[in-house]
This record gives sequence, structure tokens and C-alpha cells, in this order.
Amino acid sequence: MTKTKTLTAISFVAALFSTTTVLAEDTIKIGMTSALTGPYNEFGEGNRRAVELAVEQWNAQGGINGREIEVAELLDDQLNPDRAVQNMRRILDNEEIVGIIGPAGSGPTLAVMDMVEADGRPYMNPIAQTPVITYPDGTTGENPRGNIFSFALQNDVEAVAMGQYLADNFERVGVIHESTAYGVTGADQLAASLDKNGADEPVAVYSYNQGAQDMTAQVARLKRDNVDVISAIGLGTDLAVLRRTMARLAVDVPLLASNGALGQPYQEGAGDLTVGTLGTMIGAFSKPMREATADFAQAYKDKYGTDRWWGNDPQSPQLFMAISVSNAYDAANILFEGIRRAESTEPEAIINGIESILDYEGVNAVYSFSEGRHHGIDPDSIKVFEYVKQGSNMHLEPVTE
Amino acid sequence: MDFFIQMLASGLSVGAVYALVGLGLNLTFWTTRVLNFGQGAVLMVGAMVTAVLIASGTHVIFAVAVALLTAAFILILIEALAVRPLAKATGSMGWIVSTLGAGILLQGLASWRFGTQAVAFPDVLFSSADTVQFLGAYISVQYIAVFVISVLIVVLMELFLRRSTWGYAVRAVAHDNEFAALLGIPVRRVVLASFMVSGLLAGVAGILVSQVSGTVDPGFGMHLLILAFVATVVGGMGSAFGSLVGGLLLGVLEKLVGGYWSPAAAEIVAFILLVGVLTIRPQGLFGKPEAVKV
Repeated sequence: MTKTKTLTAISFVAALFSTTTVLAEDTIKIGMTSALTGPYNEFGEGNRRAVELAVEQWNAQGGINGREIEVAELLDDQLNPDRAVQNMRRILDNEEIVGIIGPAGSGPTLAVMDMVEADGRPYMNPIAQTPVITYPDGTTGENPRGNIFSFALQNDVEAVAMGQYLADNFERVGVIHESTAYGVTGADQLAASLDKNGADEPVAVYSYNQGAQDMTAQVARLKRDNVDVISAIGLGTDLAVLRRTMARLAVDVPLLASNGALGQPYQEGAGDLTVGTLGTMIGAFSKPMREATADFAQAYKDKYGTDRWWGNDPQSPQLFMAISVSNAYDAANILFEGIRRAESTEPEAIINGIESILDYEGVNAVYSFSEGRHHGIDPDSIKVFEYVKQGSNMHLEPVTE
Repeated sequence: MDFFIQMLASGLSVGAVYALVGLGLNLTFWTTRVLNFGQGAVLMVGAMVTAVLIASGTHVIFAVAVALLTAAFILILIEALAVRPLAKATGSMGWIVSTLGAGILLQGLASWRFGTQAVAFPDVLFSSADTVQFLGAYISVQYIAVFVISVLIVVLMELFLRRSTWGYAVRAVAHDNEFAALLGIPVRRVVLASFMVSGLLAGVAGILVSQVSGTVDPGFGMHLLILAFVATVVGGMGSAFGSLVGGLLLGVLEKLVGGYWSPAAAEIVAFILLVGVLTIRPQGLFGKPEAVKV
């Protein structure tokens, strides 16, 4: 009797373990490393929320071909390249991971790129703007890395809109950029775009380190160079320091910023000086929104409320969501769609699946991929906006079509 | 000329803050021979508490007072938990790790309590747009205020240390704490007071710098601490006047190099200055060489 009971118990435990194993193996696992904490987590934490929303929506509809999706590795790199490499090693060492969502900036992304390419599993780049991440030859649309797909507003794509606006409206362009890969390539691309649009090259180009608390030297030099506009490539907190320094030195020329700067950190840091700041941005959340964008906005609001990533206006999401949240939502959805089309979790099949996508209605854009095209955002998705104040709210209004 | 004046004003302002932070480092070094590498995080706490309290509707004066008291209290805790226990082991350099660890702990607590993003710092001392014109150059009133307040505090501290009874006690403890104890000087209280005042100075410096940058985040202060340390070593450890001169020299040189040569080159000024002074005059510009009996 005792022996029978023991056998029954062992069988039960064995069955329980085998069921658990089957369930765990049965999910489609993805890995993600991003700046979940740290001074730049407006991007990483926003991306996490977006990916989890996408996973929840797919799972609510039965997952991918009947299998649930699971974020099996969710790691924090704080936008630090060293940590990103450690995290990516851990993700790649997990053989069950079938797709990867990458870090929230060019520095950490460039640090992990080669190992990811060598591994071969599909990798979604949600934010990092440096074009060589996707196109190692530096030419967008030619010879992409086989397994890398980008949902970022690439430097060269943004530079088209920025360069055109600057060429049309100003004569003496001064450029200031952060000293990271994002800033350096952004400044180079902007100079090329100015040249392409028939404008003179920038009269001055200066850099600063992320986290700088004073930019007097740079701004005073720009003033001495008699620029009629300052074009900045960097992130929000640093742009606030730049704007305050401009006010201190009575530099009263327009400030045109790259998309990475146009969010809450800039508005909070610069206060009322924010008014009048120009910037390039994906126009997805400007009105009228496309149906897919409006659906996403509603789903986000339902799940997270009108939080920091949503912005100040409870009625409308801030445009910054396009590069801090919905970019990763689109990245996750395209990855899942690729797996669905592949009916497999083999890397090659998923990549083929993604490359077969045409006219997919995403939040930030309508996406099409092919063997030679691995980026999602084109210049026609970009507009130049200006900060205006209405009541106590600050928001961006388009100044270009 | 106006370009030079702008660089000079900016350099004097930031240099005065280096001096203020450096004086705080000096105070605790005098009494315990310990450099507090957690001081950068105390700057952050002073600024962060001020920003958060003002944002929640607290009156500016009350917010600043609470922030300064918090910074002073933290320094007392650092002395009790990270410095004193290690002082018992003669020759131990464990205080480097323990004070740095205290700073990292403070950063972690700030991230947990206030979030990891930068918090906006309100305009307490004028606004960024307030400027005065001098010989054709626009000079920020914030820079002037930061400079005046910092220099005033450093000068008052120097007078206090040279003229008051407590100042004599601090110098006596700095010279030889065992002999000072034999003379009836309450060494323990002097040490605690030096840490408390060092915390107050860090709090003031944090508030002044945040006023210029416009934001404060949990990582704030570490870079400033390194530059203040350089300023202190250049001026001479143990000299308040040296801290002031070292701070101003570093601040002005940084801005002039950044303005006339390259903003990127300004980053290396501190380390060239440090290596140069240590090579030519190891005790710093105003420090006294120490003789050690062997």
C-alpha cells in the first residue's frame, strides 16, 4: 500500500514537472535589453511598456500560431554599452530566445551589433539612429545586415528633413551635438544634407558630453560665429542646459533640435524657455492620426493611463511617444508578424517572413521590408514642429507639411 | 573683449562652486584624514530635496533649510557608519570604499524615491534670462549670484577657522588629534561638527549648481566632486584659501580653453593642471609640505 502511494506521488510530481516543461517550452520567447533605469530611461522604460502591450495583445488573440509569447529576458543596461554587451551575451546564450529587441541608443547598440549579427537571430532596433547599425556600408537601402531591422528615425533620414528646413530658412547654421555615436553621425549627416539642399556647410560645429551642466564655451563660440540658427543633436536634459545657456548669454536665434530632445525632460528642464523651440519628429501622433495610431493610443491609455510617456494633455498623446514608446511597439509587432508568417521559430524563416511584409499598418508608419530594405521610417514620416504654449500645457505644432 | 568677459564670468562662477565643494572636502580631511568620496551624492541630495519640496508647494526658504539640514545629517551618518569604524584600523584605506559606497547608496535611494530621470530645478536665484551688460558682454545674474554666495561662504569659513575658538579647535585636531584631546579639546565633537558643516557646504553647492543646469538627477555630483578634488589638491590640501584659488583657477582655465581653443579640450584642463602642480609643487599652491617621522 505504501509502495503504491509512493509510486503515485512520484508519478504525480513527474507529470507536474513534465507539464510545466511543456508549457515553458511551448511559449515563443523574446529577449530585450534597454535603459529601464538611469537618466535616459524615458526611452527604455517606454519601450518596455510598448513591448509588453504588444505581447499582451497578441496573447489575447491566441498568441502566434497558437503559442503564447513570453518576454523571457528583460534586462536593464541604463544606456551603458558595457552593460548592454553583458546583457546581450546573456540573451544570446539563451538558446530558446527567438527574437531580440535592442537597446535604446546608438552607443550600446553599436557595442552589441557585431555579436548579434554573428548570432543570426532576428534583432529589432527600436531607437538607435546611427545608420551603420542597419546598413554597415552607411548607405540606407543597400546591403543591410541580414538579421537587423530598424524602427528608428535614422540620422540620415532625419537629416533630410532637418537639412531641408535649415537650407530653406537660414544662411549661417551652427551645429552642436553630443559626443556619442548618435551625435557625431547626426552632425555628419546634417552637413551632408545641407550640402545636398544647396546650402553652405555649417559655419561652426561643436560637441558636448552627455550630462554636461554648462555649455557656455560652446554657445559663446556660436554667438561669436554669428550663426542665425543653432541646430542641436542630442537628448532632452542636455538640450535644456543648452537652451538655458543660450538665454544666459542672450543668444536670441532659433533653436532646431533633433527628435531625441523633444520630450518631457526638455520641457521640465527648460521651463518657459521651451516655447519657440523647433524640432524634427515623426509626425504619427499629430492630428489627424491614422487609425492604427489612434488604436494604439487608446490601448496605451487603457493599460497605463495618461502617464509621463503619454504627456501633459490627457486628451492627446505627446509626439515624443513615437520615439519612446510606439517605435518599440511597431518593432515587436513586426517581429511577431514575421514569426507568424514563417510558421517557425528558425531565424532564417523569421527573417524571410519579415522581409515579405508589405504595407503593414504600424503606429509610426506603414511598413514594407525586403531583402535590401531593413528600415521602417522614411523622410515622408518626418515633420518640423514648434513648441507652443496653450494655458499651462506645452505642445508641438507642425510648421512644415 | 566681450567674449573674454563672458568666459571669465562663467569660469569664476563654476570655479567658486569647485572651491565650495573643495572646502567641504578639506574640512573632513583636516579632522579625520579622510577624503569623503560620497560628497558628490550629498550635493545631489541637497539639490534633489530642494527641487522636490518646492515642486510640492513648499516655500523656497523652508525647502532650502530642510535640504541643508538633510545634507548635514547625512554627513554625520557617513562619519558614524563609513568613517569612524574604519579609523580604528591604523593605516587602513578602507574609507575610500566605504565613503564611495555611501555615495552609491545615496544615489540608489534617490533613484528609488525620486526616480532615475532628471528632476527640474526651479529658478530660486533669478532666472536664466536675467542678465546684465558689462563692457558689451552679457553676464548672467545667476552666475554673479553663484559666485558671490560661494566666495562669501569660503571667506567666512576661512575667517571662522582662523579667528574663532572652534576654528582653533579644528586646526588643533587637524594638527594632532591625540595632543588636542590631552589639551581638553572635545575631539569627537569637533570631528562631528566638521562633517556637519561639510554637509551644509555640499548642500549649498548642490543647490547653486542645479540652479545653473536647471535639473538634478541621481547621478548628479560625481563629476563635480572630481573637479572639486582637483581644485583642492591644486590649491593645497588643508588650505581654505588654497581651495578658493584652486577652484577659481580651474574654472577660469576650463572656460578659456573651451572658448578660445576647443570645448572638447576643456575636459582635459583639470587633469593637466593636476599633473602639472603635483609635479612642480606636490603640496599644492598654498599647502604646507608634511614631514613624516620614520
